[in-house]
Amino acid sequence: MSRPSALKRKQPDSSSPSESLTEHEKIVYSVIRSKQDMGIWTRDMKKEANLPDNLVGKSIKSLQAKNLIKEVVNVQSKGRKHYMAAEFEPSKELTGGDWYSNGTLDKYYISCVKDGFAKIIYQLKVATLEGISDEVKKSGIFKTSFTKQQIEEILRVLVLDKRVTEVKSTGMGEFGSFPVGKVCYKSTSKGGSKREPKVGAMASIPCGVCPRISQCTPDGIISPRTCVYFTKWLDF
Amino acid sequence: MTLTQYGIKYAVHIITSNFGNLVAKVCEILLRRGHLSLKQLIGFTELTPQQVKNSLLILIQHNCVQPFSFDQSEGPKVTQYIALFDNIIHRGRFAKFLAVVSQELDTDRELILKDLLENGRLTLKQIIEGAESSKSQGDSADKDSVQESFLKLVNAHFVERCPAPEPVLGQATKQEGPAKKRGAKSAKMVEVPETIEQRVIAAAAPPEAIRFSIMIDSEADAPGGKSDNMSVGEKRKHATLEFDAEFESSDEVVLWRANFEEFIRCLRHKACVENVRARLDDEAAVVLRAMLKATRTAEKKVKTENSVPLSLNTIYEEVINSEAGRSLTMGRVRDSLSGLCDSSQERDVDEDESYSADLKKILELAQDDEVELIVLKRYGKDAYTMFRILSLAGRPIETDKISDMSQLSLVEKNETPKILYNLWKDDYLHMERLVVTGARQSQFLVWRVDKPIIWKHVLDEMFHTALNLSLRLACEEERFKEITDLPAHKLLGEMAKQWQLYRNVILVLQASLLKLDDALMLFHDF
Ligand code: SF4
Repeated sequence: MSRPSALKRKQPDSSSPSESLTEHEKIVYSVIRSKQDMGIWTRDMKKEANLPDNLVGKSIKSLQAKNLIKEVVNVQSKGRKHYMAAEFEPSKELTGGDWYSNGTLDKYYISCVKDGFAKIIYQLKVATLEGISDEVKKSGIFKTSFTKQQIEEILRVLVLDKRVTEVKSTGMGEFGSFPVGKVCYKSTSKGGSKREPKVGAMASIPCGVCPRISQCTPDGIISPRTCVYFTKWLDF
Repeated sequence: MTLTQYGIKYAVHIITSNFGNLVAKVCEILLRRGHLSLKQLIGFTELTPQQVKNSLLILIQHNCVQPFSFDQSEGPKVTQYIALFDNIIHRGRFAKFLAVVSQELDTDRELILKDLLENGRLTLKQIIEGAESSKSQGDSADKDSVQESFLKLVNAHFVERCPAPEPVLGQATKQEGPAKKRGAKSAKMVEVPETIEQRVIAAAAPPEAIRFSIMIDSEADAPGGKSDNMSVGEKRKHATLEFDAEFESSDEVVLWRANFEEFIRCLRHKACVENVRARLDDEAAVVLRAMLKATRTAEKKVKTENSVPLSLNTIYEEVINSEAGRSLTMGRVRDSLSGLCDSSQERDVDEDESYSADLKKILELAQDDEVELIVLKRYGKDAYTMFRILSLAGRPIETDKISDMSQLSLVEKNETPKILYNLWKDDYLHMERLVVTGARQSQFLVWRVDKPIIWKHVLDEMFHTALNLSLRLACEEERFKEITDLPAHKLLGEMAKQWQLYRNVILVLQASLLKLDDALMLFHDF
């Protein structure tokens, strides 16, 4: 599996383009360029360049036409126009990080990665982070490679989803090949697929999930004797 | 654990529905104010002395109140009364206790136990008479079988001698329990009891040697003749020999009662086994059950953190002796043990390595599940994710960091503060403002799952819910009274439909209450 790689940096153009620019364009370009991979919001740009709005607007247009700058999405505030010098790739703060593509969380990609990891952990039975990382590389199911931090993130979400448990090795049985106390990961269920969630005792009773429980009293206006949530629940 | 508001309300509700308003009033005052003398009780309840006395007698008979007095060098001894909260809540669990006995022993013993549960305290003579009359056969063969059943119940620790009628408590000196002086408990009191209630219970409990022994309570042997005196006991190992002596004895002072502690222990074990089954697998559950069964009587207290250690060989023997474990190999048992034991414990890999299951951890995970499921249902998936992040981390984390950490769970970044706030406002999270003064002053919000506080809050909501279910149950009984009063042959057409509806409503409410009570035990008793 691969995704449009947003990670590799383009080499800056060797021939300096700024020669052919107007004075104003030069100012605007240098402001944008100085922000490197953070880019800059048009409003801030106008302030820093200290030029009239229409001049800034014109300069931006022409710089864009010359492929010197580009418009980028900022996940923090998608409505704002954000510009960056062409040779830079947007920083994590702008893109949202490795799991974003075009300013939105790449849900499909994430769920594929999660499933892939869950399956590998299931096949390994018990494994350490390093073991999982090696196995993922060996399997070749992902075209991109993952940083240690990314792998940690994936493992954490699998633990959060209860598809995998984090256990410390007891050094015996299935943990035989890992030193005591080493953090290991283990599938919680067959096939590493999501398991049926348990039903909680409280969670299956209206009061357990009731937003009004703190106002509910035996003889109050909100009371179990007259409670509509109960009435609905007991309506067969 | 201190009593919560709704814990008290639920307890009072149980007493009201069992014994009526007067008794409940006395009980409530005791629960709210701690221990009181008769005079104080009369003052607070504004009832007549006779009413208070009668109520107390009922409560004592049913093990819901324990009288005691303080060891005073001067002045007259004043009897104090203290309510035993746990025992009151146990009243809703009698059906579960009976089920334990019918599983562990067999159904025959249930009769005696039922009698004891219904009557609180009985002498052996009363027990036998009760059993005989309910069988309505007076032949001696029956008497023997009742005696035998009784003996089995006592040997299995399901029935015990009643505690001392009025133990004397040393003056409350800080932490230390002068109650310790009362040597009898040396074995039981590994831990210094903290609350007055715990100290009173410890002081009143008969010494282990006597608690489950069946014999004449020979006053002659016990200097001073106090039933809580501990110098008796050792020579009375062979209970059976003296059984007849007790039975024939005209001296009927020995009172017996159901031993709630043992029932809770059994239910706790069962809960551990079932949780392991759900989280690990059937094999691990079989292994744990065998371990716990073999060591039940060796446990010192109910809330023991680790099971009593056993060698691998012993565990294996126990496992293959159980029906479900017959086919397991040593290697598989070893594998299962690796998931049950505390990984932080260093163990030597010798021949006679011993294993003990980490019960505390098993129960903690079950508690986590219960709370998380409430969060999931009440606040949604994203809140659940954040709650789990914080709960797993066990330390305070800042808002933005939580956003980052929940990215892969597909939580929208700008939702984070709102969700955290919702959890915080209902006491499901703890929040702190951190002000960092540097070049620029900035402010962070950090969030934390503060288990002791949140768990207490959840427990209170559980008691609240239990109360609500019971109240609604009573309401529904009332609502359908017309139908339930009808004789069976009149239940036709619309009436039959109504009756079916009534059955469904009651069944759902009762089943929910039973299940909720399991969760209550998980948080309060285990
Ligand atoms: S009785 Fe009704 S209003 Fe009260 S807590 Fe339960 S569900 Fe909520």
